[in-house]
Amino acid sequence: MQSQRPSSWYAVPAFAFFGLFAALPMVLVVYLSFTSWQGLGTPTFNGVANWSRLISDGEAHASMGRTLLLMVVSWAVQTPIALLIGVWAAGKQRSRAVLSSIFFLPLLLSTAAIALLWQALLDSNFGIFAGGPQFLGDPDIAIYTVVFVISWQYIPFHTLLYQGAARGIPASLYEAAIIDGAGRFGRFFNITLPQLRYTIVTSSILMLVGSLTTFDTVLILTQGGPGTASRIIPLHMYITGFSGFEMGYASAIAVLLVVLGTALSVIVTRATGFRAMSSQQEGS
Amino acid sequence: MKIWALQDQVLNPIEQKSIDSFKAAGGNGSLETFGNDPYKQKLRVAIGSPNAPDVFFNWGGGNLKEYVDAGKIADLTPVLDQNPELKNAFIPSVMDGAKIDGKQYGIPMRGMQPVLLFFNKKVFAEAGVQPPKTWDDLLSLVDTFKNKGVQPISLAGSQAWTELMWAEYLLDRIGGPEVFKAIRDNGAAGWKHPAVLESLTKLRELIDRGGFGDNFASVGYDMGGASTIMAQGKAAMHLMGSWEFVNQQDQSPDFVKNGDLGWTAFPAIPGGKGDPSNVVGNASNYYSVTSDSKQLDAAKKFVSTTLHEDSYVQALIDAGDVPAVVGVEDKLAKAPNADYTTWIYNTVKEAKHFQLSWDQDLPADDATFMLTQLQELFLKKVSPEQFVNAVAAR
Amino acid sequence: MKSRPNWPAGLFAVAWLVIVLGPLVYVLTASLRSRADYLTSGTLAVPENPTLDNYTTVLTGGFAQYLLNNVIVTVATVAIVVLVGVPCAYAVVRGTGRFVQRGFTLLLAGLAIPAQAAIIPVYLLITRMHLYDTLTAIILPTAAFALPVATLVLTNSLRDVPRELYEAQAIDGAGSFRVLVSLVLPLARPAIMTVVVYTALNAWNGFLFPLVLTQSQSSRVLTLGLWNFQGQFGTNIPALMAAVTLSVLPIFVVYLIGRRFLLSGLTAGFGK
Repeated sequence: MQSQRPSSWYAVPAFAFFGLFAALPMVLVVYLSFTSWQGLGTPTFNGVANWSRLISDGEAHASMGRTLLLMVVSWAVQTPIALLIGVWAAGKQRSRAVLSSIFFLPLLLSTAAIALLWQALLDSNFGIFAGGPQFLGDPDIAIYTVVFVISWQYIPFHTLLYQGAARGIPASLYEAAIIDGAGRFGRFFNITLPQLRYTIVTSSILMLVGSLTTFDTVLILTQGGPGTASRIIPLHMYITGFSGFEMGYASAIAVLLVVLGTALSVIVTRATGFRAMSSQQEGS
Repeated sequence: MKIWALQDQVLNPIEQKSIDSFKAAGGNGSLETFGNDPYKQKLRVAIGSPNAPDVFFNWGGGNLKEYVDAGKIADLTPVLDQNPELKNAFIPSVMDGAKIDGKQYGIPMRGMQPVLLFFNKKVFAEAGVQPPKTWDDLLSLVDTFKNKGVQPISLAGSQAWTELMWAEYLLDRIGGPEVFKAIRDNGAAGWKHPAVLESLTKLRELIDRGGFGDNFASVGYDMGGASTIMAQGKAAMHLMGSWEFVNQQDQSPDFVKNGDLGWTAFPAIPGGKGDPSNVVGNASNYYSVTSDSKQLDAAKKFVSTTLHEDSYVQALIDAGDVPAVVGVEDKLAKAPNADYTTWIYNTVKEAKHFQLSWDQDLPADDATFMLTQLQELFLKKVSPEQFVNAVAAR
Repeated sequence: MKSRPNWPAGLFAVAWLVIVLGPLVYVLTASLRSRADYLTSGTLAVPENPTLDNYTTVLTGGFAQYLLNNVIVTVATVAIVVLVGVPCAYAVVRGTGRFVQRGFTLLLAGLAIPAQAAIIPVYLLITRMHLYDTLTAIILPTAAFALPVATLVLTNSLRDVPRELYEAQAIDGAGSFRVLVSLVLPLARPAIMTVVVYTALNAWNGFLFPLVLTQSQSSRVLTLGLWNFQGQFGTNIPALMAAVTLSVLPIFVVYLIGRRFLLSGLTAGFGK
């Protein structure tokens, strides 16, 4: 019987691959965060200089604040919309099927395409609001524009999650509620929402960690601007590392990003008593 | 042999052609091009890597110095010494832009690119006004155009280097070139010089006056918005590098053809220490050779033979560029847009000082920080005093 | 379930339809206009003299090269993930060694690593491996970062295979490789499809790895090509929108053919 069991060698290529390009970099990034490296030559050890700088770097703190704002607001915007549309799209009516297949269209565009499209639409000279509100140029608005574009891109994804989950709710629950005289709102709050609680947690983790690591959208749409008004942590890391070429300091910011991402998943999971996979997709 | 250059729809084909003829003569080489901001990043990243280009476009100055200090750039002085004809082919002040510690690390390969003030002649004529000669002229023009509903000055403010041109000229006019030289050579404390604060205060007044309109913060130069609104007459002036002429020709051909594109020097500031003939910008662009190149000799041969060749110089002139090559007055006069190119040629030749763009003349980390602070200044998020304190504390 | 038409929800759905469809219609119509028309007649004007010139501009401007690169990156990434992911999942589910289980735990921890955080060391590794500015430089890390989700989806699906099926194979005297080929592969096919779609989309739309790990035009992928077009085209926004349209087209065709596979791959098992 044992001979038929796959040997451990079957797993080695995958582990080696993952180890080299994902696990090893995590070790390296921690190491680099204790070095000074300008991109040229080799990194030199400089103790905790990067870390003490991170503690006192006003721009890093501000980026942090913007990141939190982005996470909270985009969660608050996306969740109700995705939930409502998802539940609605779960209905069996033909019109809903047709409409929801259109709703999923933004999923087909790359982040780069979406950012370029909205940038053209919102251009302050040749866009639809030319002469009006400065959606990309006003420092007080820009980050909310980023939230909007992110929402436009990802609500369809979360709608998909909710649609799948809502379809899995046993019809008998609703039938019983109707017999009890529950109205539409009653059914939504007493049956649909509780039944979707695991999906809400999964979707929320994906959203929060996704916003934490937002990068492409901001880089193309606002370059973190105007000024630094939409410069969030991943972009701050990128600019520090690949424009200022302070790779060591940028690594310290990267470590912070990992810690935050992991902590976030753990906190949400614990707080909701939900032990499912916590994950994220690149850039989502 | 890999050759990298900044993306340019007009100049890239000329560069390609010179590479082609180099290839036809038995050499090899392929041209790769990138947009402005990505280029600076990618170059840095690549020079640190084993896949560095053999020959690359750069702006000379402090930025090139970093690569030189890291031992990544081949010294071209011996090549020049063996080849006096090459050495004497270029305008000396422009050659100086790629000279570091007395050694030559780059050969000028594109036109000279001073920054000048472009304007829309039609808009000026309709308002019955003349291009500004002094800073006060400029301020009164701002009011005139604002009253007529025209944005006085176009600014691609989402890219900080466009804003930087204003700061560079103001500091040079008010404090003279020595102030920035001290910052570059002696460190950030140099920002505390009173002329810096004075020039930024003047800049802030211009911003407060509405000189740049109110939507510059999201306008990008690469995306063409700033140039297009001036061509359309929605804006009156645009401070930009001399490449703007070629760009306008390409993007708004009728505007240039009708003779509506005007240009003038940056206004003088009476009482300032800087000579009004001084210019800022890119003295030229240079081809430098990486010292780790596997084809070092071929690369040296390429930069030492192709860049002052008659056909290459002529092609640059035909494209509206002004090469940093001596004795091309006649060629310029015969070429199209002779009035523009001759103006540029004489302006650079007569300039007492050519200040290289600060972001090229400072180390990358300091430049990045300074540009961020400058954008904040334009957005009125930091005051001139706060700017000075922040950059001086680096 | 009986249900009256839900008017408020219907209205909301129509409003959402406008928000979703509006920009997409804009991309299409803008791509058919000339630059001059776009700059003077306004953003949303209907194309008066529709033109396909912009598509010619894009197609002759390097688009084919970017597309080909994207296809190579996507196919290679998917191939790697499936080739190393399936045996790994099989070993995790049916293997007995402690090594495999520990490795799997580590792999799952990788679910929480954002690619952004790894980009600097990955850049360092790639340059030291002399892979900088090659398509391989994009493929390797993209595949590595797709592996945790892929392996998870595959193990979940293999765990559902009844033990009796494996035992029947054992009685036939099949070795572990034959089991992999004749039992695991067919049974895991839906999960493999999910993994293929998930990995392919990630590779197709990837931005950060190509941005940092490549630079020359010959190794430029579509997402970066689009961004580059922006600088190249300037205010020729119609040409940029034509490029956007062309970049979406391949995925759109896949969506039309196999919507269910595409959507299930997108959620990669999160939608269970």
